[in-house]
Amino acid sequence: MKKLYAVLVALLVAAMLLPACAPAQTGPECAKPEVFCVGVVTDVGKIDDKSFNQSAWEGVKLAEKELGAKVQYIETTDAKDYDKNIATFADEGYDVIVTVGFALGEATVAAAKKYPNTKFIGVDQFQAEVTPGVAGLIFPEDQAGFLVGALAAQMTKTGKIGGVFGTDVVPPVWRFGEGYCAGAKYINPNIELFIVYHSDVGFDKTFTDPEWGSATAKSMIEKGADIIFGGGGKTGNGAVIGAVEAGALAIGVDTDQYYTLPEAQKGLLSSAMKLITPGVFDLIKAAKEGKFPDGNYVGKAAYAPYHDLDSQVPAEVKAKMEEINKALLDGTLKTNVTPAKTEDGKGFCTP
Amino acid sequence: MDWRRFSFIGFIIVFLFTVVVLIGGSRVSPTIIISSMLTTTIAVATPLTLGALSGVFCERAGVVNIGIEGMMLAAAFFGWLTAIYMNTVFKFDPNLSLWTGVLAAILTGGLFALLHAWLSITFKVDQIIGGTVINILAVGITGFLNRQMFFGEGSIFGGNVPHAPGLLPSLSKWLAPLCGGPEGCLGLPGLIQGTFLDQKPVALAAIALVLVSHYVLFNTRWGLRTRAVGEHPKAADTVGINVYRIRYVNVIIGGMLAGLGGAYFTIESVPSFEPLMTNGRGFISLAAMIFGNWTPFGAWAAALVFGASQALQINLQFFRDAIPPQWAFLQHAYIVGLAPYVLTMLILTGIIGKTIPPAADGQPYEK
Repeated sequence: MKKLYAVLVALLVAAMLLPACAPAQTGPECAKPEVFCVGVVTDVGKIDDKSFNQSAWEGVKLAEKELGAKVQYIETTDAKDYDKNIATFADEGYDVIVTVGFALGEATVAAAKKYPNTKFIGVDQFQAEVTPGVAGLIFPEDQAGFLVGALAAQMTKTGKIGGVFGTDVVPPVWRFGEGYCAGAKYINPNIELFIVYHSDVGFDKTFTDPEWGSATAKSMIEKGADIIFGGGGKTGNGAVIGAVEAGALAIGVDTDQYYTLPEAQKGLLSSAMKLITPGVFDLIKAAKEGKFPDGNYVGKAAYAPYHDLDSQVPAEVKAKMEEINKALLDGTLKTNVTPAKTEDGKGFCTP
Repeated sequence: MDWRRFSFIGFIIVFLFTVVVLIGGSRVSPTIIISSMLTTTIAVATPLTLGALSGVFCERAGVVNIGIEGMMLAAAFFGWLTAIYMNTVFKFDPNLSLWTGVLAAILTGGLFALLHAWLSITFKVDQIIGGTVINILAVGITGFLNRQMFFGEGSIFGGNVPHAPGLLPSLSKWLAPLCGGPEGCLGLPGLIQGTFLDQKPVALAAIALVLVSHYVLFNTRWGLRTRAVGEHPKAADTVGINVYRIRYVNVIIGGMLAGLGGAYFTIESVPSFEPLMTNGRGFISLAAMIFGNWTPFGAWAAALVFGASQALQINLQFFRDAIPPQWAFLQHAYIVGLAPYVLTMLILTGIIGKTIPPAADGQPYEK
C-alpha cells in the first residue's frame, strides 16, 4: 500500500505542476515625478497575440512616440499572477498601468485602492461603480455588431444570415447580438435571422466550447444561411471556423480575426472590432494632462478590412458601409439597442 | 434486447424532432429541418457514443471508469499536437498529419487507460479514486503543456499557436469523384445524403464501432469471457480465465475508444485545442452508458437522445419568434438543455425497466 500512496501522490503533484511566473522587467527611474512611465499587464498570453494584448501595447507604444513616455510590459502566464504583475509596476512608481482584458477587472480595482497615486486603464473592464484612479475602457459593441450586421445583410445571397454567441446574460454579448440584428434589419427589414446564444450552460463553458459553436454554425448553413457572425470567445471562433469549412462566409469579433484565425482567412468577410489602440492612447494622454476620467470611458467600434474577399465586395456596399460607419460615429444613426438583456428577452433579434 | 427501453428512447427522439418541425415548419421546409437536426444529432453524439462504448467495455469487465473525461481531454490535446508536429516540423501532407493525429489520440487514450488498469487492477485502488486521478492528471498535463508549448517564455512555437493542418474531410468529399457535382451522390435521396454522407470519419467510425462492440460482446468467446469476468470473476477464474488479463485488455480498449472520441474535438470538429474543452462530455457519456443499460446499442441510443436535445436546443433558438405564446417556456435554452438529465433520472428510477450494472462492477478481484 505504501508504494501505491507514493504513486498517487506523485501523480497528483505532477498534475498540479504550474509554470513559474514571468520575470519582472525593471523599468527606468519611474519613481521620479518628471519621468512619465506606462506599464502594460497582459491577460494570459503573449504581448504579440494579434488580439487585445497587442492592440493595447500598440496604444502604449504610440504614447511612447507622441508623449515621450517610458513604456514596459509584463506578460501574464497564469491568472493567479495578475495582482503580483500589477504590483510590480505600481511598486516601481509607474504613472499609468494598463491592464488588458475583462479578467483583470477585480485585480485592477483592488490595486487602484492600494496605490492611489497610480492611474489604471482597464481595457474591456466595465466599472459598475466609480473607483478613483480607474478608467474602464469599454466599447459600443452594439455599433460594432450593427456594422457587421449591415454588411452581412448586403452580402447575403440567400437572404438568411446567422449569429452564434456566448450567453446573452453578459451585456456586451447581448449588445453584439442585438446590434447585429439591428444592423441587418436596417438594410433589409425582412431578412431572416438565425441567432443562437450558448445560454444553456454555465459561465465557465459558454465562451470555451468551439465544438458547440461549429455544430451550431453548420446547422444554420444547412437551413440556408450563408454568412455567420461568431461572437463569444472560443465558442464564436468555433462558429467562424465551422462556417468557413462548410463553405459559407464568416465574421469575427473583438479584433481583426484575419490574424488570429488563420484557418478561416479564405472566408472571413470582416470582424466586429473594438478599437483598443486609440482608446488606450487617448486615456494615457488624458492621464498625462491631468484630465484622467474615473469610471467608464467609451471607445470606438469599427469593422475590419475585407482582406482576401475585398474583390468580392461590390463598390456600392463598401460605400454604404463607410456611410453607416460615419453616421454611427457622428451620432446621426442610433442602434437603439438596450444596454443589457431585456426582462422578456425581446429586442431586435426576437421582436 | 430491451424493446421497452428502445421504444421509449425512439419516442423521445421523434418527439423532440416533431416539436421543432411543428414550430419551424412554416419558415423552413420540414425535410431540411429533419435532415439538419439528424446531422447535428449524429455529429454531436459522436464523442458521447465513443465515451459510452468506452464505459461499456470497462464496466462489462468489472472496472468502473470515471476517467473517460480525462482520457478524452488528453487524447484531444495529444492528437492535435501530433497533427501539428507532423505537419509543421516533419512536413507531412496535411491529411496524413491528421490521420497520424487520430492514431496518436487513440494511443493516448490507451496509455491513460493502462494507467487506470494498473492502479485499479494490479494495485486494487478504489476505482473511483483511480478515475479521479486520471481526470485531474489530464487537466493538469494538457493545461501545462498547452501553456508551456504555445504561450510560455521561450516556448517551442514562440507564442504563436501554429497553423493546424485543417480538419478531417466529410465522407461526401471523399466520394466526390463518385458524386459528380453538388446535385447528388449515387442518386441517394437528400435526407440520407445530408445525414450520413456529410458526416466525418470519426462520426461514422463511432456508428460502426457500436455494431462491432455489440458483436464482440455478445457473439464472441472474448465477449463472453469479458462479461463473465464482470459478473462473477471468481467463477471465471475457476474455469481458467485469466481475470486480470481480460480486465486489462478491456480497460485499454475502452481507453482507445475514449481516445478516438477525443480526436473528434480537435481533429474533426475544430482545429484548435482549449483547456477543458471536453466540457463534461465524458461524464455525460457515463450517463448514456447507464441510460443504455451497459449495452452498445442502448448507449448509442442514449447518446443520440443527448445529441437530439442539443439539436432541439439550437433549433428552437432559430425559430424563437415562431414559438406559440403558450409554449413560451421553450424560449429558455437552459430548460431545454435540462431535458436529457431529467430523462436520465427518470430512467434510473426504473419506470421503463431496471438498469442492471454488471454484478462485479467496481470490485477489485483478489485471488
